[in-house]
Amino acid sequence: MDNFIPGQIFTTSASLVDSVDRKLLVVLRDGRKLIGVLRSFDQFANLVLQDTIERIYVGDAYGDIPRGIFIIRGENVVLLGEIDLDKEDELPLRQVPVEEILLAQREEMEARQKREKLKNKLLHDQGFSVDFTETDLY
Amino acid sequence: MLPLSLLNTAQGHPMLVELKNGETFNGHLVNCDNWMNLTLREVIQTSPEGDRFWRLPECYIRGNTIKYLRVPDEIMEMVKEDSIRQRQAASGGNRGRKWFSWWKYWSRRKQRWKL
Repeated sequence: MDNFIPGQIFTTSASLVDSVDRKLLVVLRDGRKLIGVLRSFDQFANLVLQDTIERIYVGDAYGDIPRGIFIIRGENVVLLGEIDLDKEDELPLRQVPVEEILLAQREEMEARQKREKLKNKLLHDQGFSVDFTETDLY
Repeated sequence: MLPLSLLNTAQGHPMLVELKNGETFNGHLVNCDNWMNLTLREVIQTSPEGDRFWRLPECYIRGNTIKYLRVPDEIMEMVKEDSIRQRQAASGGNRGRKWFSWWKYWSRRKQRWKL
């Protein structure tokens, strides 16, 4: 019976201490995805990430931008998760050069803005007041 | 080492600060405090769109406006040396009267209760 006691039975509160020196994916409120090794944190969940890359996802493709050391202010983090180093090598996505992904990202953003503009116009014509333009994931 | 201690160690070094509104400030860190307020010198301020630039000889950034900071990789090396130096200073300074009587009490307690 002792073998079935899970290792995390006594969790009382969230702690990042188990994530230190692990490779994490951090999502910021502005939608950025940063992948780096967590080196330290504090009571506000301010993070220190080392060897960080910013990964941009568009469709089934992604591109990486190396960024170095980040000190992230905790309130700007939406979520973070540990990266499975084995599964990381078998992504169903294809990696493309940075210039290409940045282009694709800009096109996607312009397309989204066009759709939003059209949607807002249609709603406005129907009598709805639309003033919602939130780019914060919070 | 705590994030704010790392920031303190980075004083004098160049860094990039991005604010919540997307503006970036590239400059040398002069000083920082517990609220992440910063003073930078020789600063290049960039607009959120990346199209306009300003040069400021010095600037003050209120900590709660910051999204993140990027520091040079050399900081990690300095941090290791700094934390070693801090630990030596702390253990040296701890041999005060109050600390010693607490230490006596604790070692006797350990002996008594075989902790």
